[in-house]
Amino acid sequence: MAKIESGMEAMLDMYFYETNSLLEQLDEILLRTEQANAFESDDIKEIFRIMHTIKGSSAMMGFDNLSVLAHKAEDMFFVIRENPDVITDVSFVYDLVFQVSDSYKAQIEAIQNNIGGEYELMNFDDLIDKLIKARDKLNSEASGETAPASEAAHAASKSEPLPVSDGKTSVRVFFDDGCQMENLRAFLLINTIREECSFLEFYPSDVETNGESSKEIVENGFLITFTAHDGKDGYVLNLIETALNVQSYEILNEPVDTAPKAEETAPKAEIPPEPAKTELKVEKPAPKTEPKPATPTDASIEKAQAAVANANAQAQGGAQKQSLISVNLAKLDALHDIVGEIITTESMVISNPDLEGLELESFNKAARDLKKLTNELQDTVMSIRMVPLAGVFQKMNRIVRDMRKKLNKDVDFLLEGEDTEVDKSIVDSLQDPLMHLVRNCMDHGIEDNVQDRIYAGKPEKGTLKLTAQNASGEVIITVSDDGAGIDPDKIMAKARKMNLLTKPESEYSIKEIQNLILLPGFSTNEQVTEFSGRGVGMDVVKANIEKCNGTIIVDSKKGEGTSFIIKIPLTLAIIDGMEITVGDLVFTVPISTIKESFKIEESQILRDTGGNEMIMIRGICYPILRLHEKFNIDTDVTKLEDGILLLVETDNKSMCIFADKLIGEQQVVVKPFPKYLSRYNIKGEGLSGCTIMGDGSISLIIDTNTLIG
Amino acid sequence: MTNDVIKEAVAKQQSGDRKLAADNSILGKVMTFNIGDQIYGIEIQYILEIIGMSHITKVPHVPDYIKGIINVRSKVVPIVDIRTRFGKPEIPYTPRTCIITLDFNDTSIGIIVDSVADVEDIHTGDISAAPENKNVNVNDFIQYMIRGENGETKLILDVAKLLDEQEA
Repeated sequence: MAKIESGMEAMLDMYFYETNSLLEQLDEILLRTEQANAFESDDIKEIFRIMHTIKGSSAMMGFDNLSVLAHKAEDMFFVIRENPDVITDVSFVYDLVFQVSDSYKAQIEAIQNNIGGEYELMNFDDLIDKLIKARDKLNSEASGETAPASEAAHAASKSEPLPVSDGKTSVRVFFDDGCQMENLRAFLLINTIREECSFLEFYPSDVETNGESSKEIVENGFLITFTAHDGKDGYVLNLIETALNVQSYEILNEPVDTAPKAEETAPKAEIPPEPAKTELKVEKPAPKTEPKPATPTDASIEKAQAAVANANAQAQGGAQKQSLISVNLAKLDALHDIVGEIITTESMVISNPDLEGLELESFNKAARDLKKLTNELQDTVMSIRMVPLAGVFQKMNRIVRDMRKKLNKDVDFLLEGEDTEVDKSIVDSLQDPLMHLVRNCMDHGIEDNVQDRIYAGKPEKGTLKLTAQNASGEVIITVSDDGAGIDPDKIMAKARKMNLLTKPESEYSIKEIQNLILLPGFSTNEQVTEFSGRGVGMDVVKANIEKCNGTIIVDSKKGEGTSFIIKIPLTLAIIDGMEITVGDLVFTVPISTIKESFKIEESQILRDTGGNEMIMIRGICYPILRLHEKFNIDTDVTKLEDGILLLVETDNKSMCIFADKLIGEQQVVVKPFPKYLSRYNIKGEGLSGCTIMGDGSISLIIDTNTLIG
Repeated sequence: MTNDVIKEAVAKQQSGDRKLAADNSILGKVMTFNIGDQIYGIEIQYILEIIGMSHITKVPHVPDYIKGIINVRSKVVPIVDIRTRFGKPEIPYTPRTCIITLDFNDTSIGIIVDSVADVEDIHTGDISAAPENKNVNVNDFIQYMIRGENGETKLILDVAKLLDEQEA
């Protein structure tokens, strides 16, 4: 067990976010390249970079086990990067890296779940062992070709004379092996001696801000050129010697006549574009001819140009990735509120009573322009919260890959409509349900025995499809397989055994039977496997989807396959509403629930023995609910024929609600009721929240579900 | 202000030590307002703003004293009529009637008061504890009292209780 270092909590969020997105990126690269069955050199570099970043940030956060793990993985990829041809057994590398990625996720989750408390410190020794072995193996395969050259290069770089200005002392400082964060240590060292020096220069000069510079320091040491006050060089050297984590330093005494400016730029040319690690035997051959700063050789110029070009290329690649920024959701909500406020204020200005009766031609024109712009602003702000489903879908890819191997089923996994966008909060709650569904399809759906498929006249290879599409304010996500399908008889038998039936068996339709599998505890799988069979999954799926106001339907044909159809609203925050009035109150009814609205005559009303009003529409009888009675509102419209009736339906239950009149359709932003009111049972009584309308007044949103129920 | 601070202040006034008893340092500020003839106060750290009466949207299924909700710059704030809450008769709203919005632990409410009076310092020497016996008066929401210069007493409301009260 371990605890998070104090003072680090504030950075945890950023760390989790960054590391998780890097791991996702890693998974994506692995999955993509595994299909092609070969690493592109760009991919290897990318993986290397990911591992390196994770290593650095984990070390900074004090997660030593994670940092060591990433370090070892980085080592292995270092060998691969230098010798792309050494991988003979690709799948073994993939398995290892997937294991690393999984271990990471597990540990991070453990930490995330216990912020502020103790978390379980996982032991990665086995995996690290494997990584070291893999590295050594790859290394020994590769070393034959490259080792000698690199040794020479290494030696050369060690004894390289370095630029020193007259009257100044230059030292090259090496830090303890594996002490991590060399750049910051170097920065601290500089701060320590700064007071004592009248002149001070150092290279790499961007240690404070550039994490990559630590590589450079590990390899070539940290260069300091200084002039101490009153010639007390010895004192400064002593300071350097005794500084934290300094392993050794050497004084460079070959003076080179160079202007400080040249000195600053020159060393950059010396650096190979991708510094190699000294602790590895295999090393990229370093440039043997060290360029003299004052008279740069052609080679050094070329080198420098190459380095610049490389840096540019990286910067461009980086810029592409960084067209995305992460923003706290709370800030978006705040932005959203402000925009709402602006729109309200705008309408207050434009329809201000003081303006009445005035000739305002140019004002009206300006007002129209303003309105157009604010509408655009509002649309943009709303769209900011929308993210594509691709991220979640990619994760499914990974699950399918693992299960394909473990279950030994040959399955094609097709993705469609990953770019469909939904609200961020919905994307998050979709992940678990989709994972369960995909697992279920892989485990139960696709036949275990290929022969069964052939007999049924289906291709040997199973197909699993995950699709998403936009349809009138809803997103429809379908998970379907072409497997064995659901056998209604089996489900019925199981349900009987578990006493889950609530009405006589003969009254169940096929659809109802199929949807029985969504009940908690229901599993037809005889054996509990690693992936499914405990009967918790489908229950979780249903609960999660209902949480974001969605529905799930099972559609299956025995022998042909199964589809799970999930319908969820595009966003939780915005609904299309119909505004209605009752007395002086305005209510909003979600349009999706309204079937029709109409006026009636007294003669159409039916009354049952209890005096409850009902109405017959096209042969079906619906109860009538008077909103003014339900919510206790004073209104002049109490006769049914004076007001308007809305036929609403949710979950196959319908009724007519009676209101004074319709105002019109409007998109509204759903706001929850204030916290202070949560102790009263407002939500259970047919209201789901409220919304602020264009003129600043508040309208209550009707929840047809609880209103009917 | 915590109850400990109040106790300490009261203890100082009653202590034999002259120096302590003479201590009249400023402990904070309160905003005072009128409900009928009585002056009430709320410590200013809880007060968000004072706004004029605006249209209140009624909400069903809540007690009488919750008048509804209003829109304060895109925030939906529930409104409590302090008069009704304290069991006093309702009076028609006047131009001086206003809403004070409060915030405590991220819960906000607005309270309707007859009129806002003043903002003043709380001196150690002016504090009196609220009576202990809760059965005698309705003083559930009174945390302590301040004696004013002209002998009037200002009742300082316990915002935490006002917002966190459990439905009886």
